[in-house]
Amino acid sequence: MISKRIYAAWFVVHFFLITAVCFAGIFSVVAEGKTMLPSALDKYARKAELIAASVLWKEAAAASPVRQGIATYLHAAGSQSGYTFFAPNVPGYNKLTLELYYQDGRVEYESPRVSGKAAALRLDSLLNRLADNRYEPIREVVVKMLAFSVWREHPGVKKIRAIFGSVTPPSISDFEQGKKESFQPLFSYDFSLRNEEKEPTTR
Amino acid sequence: MTRLRRWRKRLMEFLFPAETDKWLAVLRIGLGLQVTVYALFLKSDWHYLFAGTGKGLVSRELGEAIISFDSPFIPKLGWLVAVGGYVNMGEETVLSVAWACLLVAGCCLLLGLFCRAAAIVGWFVHLCAAQSGGLLSYGADNFMTMGLFYLMLSPLPDRFSLDYRLVKTKPKDPQLLGFWRRVLQVHLCLVYFFGGLGKSLGSGWWDGSNLWRSLTRPPFDIISADILIRFKYLLPILGISIVLIELGYVFFIWMKKTRFIWLVCIVGMHIAIGLTMGMYLFALVMIVLNLAAFGADPGFAERSSRKIRQKFERSKQTQYRCLA
Repeated sequence: MISKRIYAAWFVVHFFLITAVCFAGIFSVVAEGKTMLPSALDKYARKAELIAASVLWKEAAAASPVRQGIATYLHAAGSQSGYTFFAPNVPGYNKLTLELYYQDGRVEYESPRVSGKAAALRLDSLLNRLADNRYEPIREVVVKMLAFSVWREHPGVKKIRAIFGSVTPPSISDFEQGKKESFQPLFSYDFSLRNEEKEPTTR
Repeated sequence: MTRLRRWRKRLMEFLFPAETDKWLAVLRIGLGLQVTVYALFLKSDWHYLFAGTGKGLVSRELGEAIISFDSPFIPKLGWLVAVGGYVNMGEETVLSVAWACLLVAGCCLLLGLFCRAAAIVGWFVHLCAAQSGGLLSYGADNFMTMGLFYLMLSPLPDRFSLDYRLVKTKPKDPQLLGFWRRVLQVHLCLVYFFGGLGKSLGSGWWDGSNLWRSLTRPPFDIISADILIRFKYLLPILGISIVLIELGYVFFIWMKKTRFIWLVCIVGMHIAIGLTMGMYLFALVMIVLNLAAFGADPGFAERSSRKIRQKFERSKQTQYRCLA
């Protein structure tokens, strides 16, 4: 009976944490203002998201052992993020185009590539994350790494211009009218390896 | 009996129904297949995805640094690389060994050989890879970690495994088996309820435009848009169906009369996701989790939980007699 009580207690704590993660995910979706709900609810959703986050101890100091313990446990259980896949709406996708400038003036266009389909899904996931404002601090570093991965295969390249943007696919009616997807550049970076010079520019 | 006691009794009955280990066999074999396929699918890109700075697609160290903001105790491939360093193993060798461990763990789970150890190794190495490549991870990784986490905690081995045939282990407590199945069932209900709730808030799921978008955007654009446009009147129906199936899962999967139809719908939905969007790993892990949670012997517990308990008690007594 004692062991049953322990199991039951674990069950309650486990699902309490997972439910908090799920609620945080839903409130975050509402707070971003992308749902059908009235925009007046956005600020309340933000507050509710913060409450759910505080339940998970995310508002505590980074060094807090409770916060670290909960985060470790949730990651270990595969439950660190909510289940709002493709919700509330399916966004457009993102594209990173690399302009390769050679010594002789040639210009080629490339994109970061992987060989398998399973890895291609992961690359797509990475590009979608880069468009997210939360990843803004590491955006340049990641783009630089992606550019460098292409550079290794083209050692003769003098400079690389990386252009990151979002692609909006045509809606059903637009597609029927023959319209194509539209590309909206979000930012670009210039990388130069030889003289260790890097000139980031944001558009 | 007070109301509180009655309530507690009911909770305990809900949490600890007597179950056979069929569902556990489904989970073990399914996740064994999943881990094996995961390792094989990523074989050609494994080093490229998880190599350190300057050697791969993006730096593994960057992903690990980001994950360390959450907690420095989250397992990562960097730990294995550091341990390998002590025995003069280079990063590439460690990554190869980690990949091989994953493949072997998957095969062992499939066969039911060293079940517990294989589940722990599979969970740990996959977790390390998923966290180190956090920037590159997606939904399938979370569900794999979740499934392996529950599998390693469940009362292994099941009676369909090689372990059970080679070393006659004592029978597992049916109520404990029932408990872990309940955990999986409740978790799936949360997954679908919140997934459906999130989708129901987006207008695109009610008019079919989200389905159009998800099926036409790379890298999910397996079906040509020209073909898809012929079925445009079907898209709103399918979009609404997805929302209703996910939202209704939490209610209808528990009812005896609707369980089978709901299970067929949800498995059908995941098969369709796998085939039309190329998300094979995601589809496979969701099908495995659903079949383990509600597929193997649906409604069995309600029908004969007493019988299972009696059988367990009898086999326990026989074992004690043999030992005496």
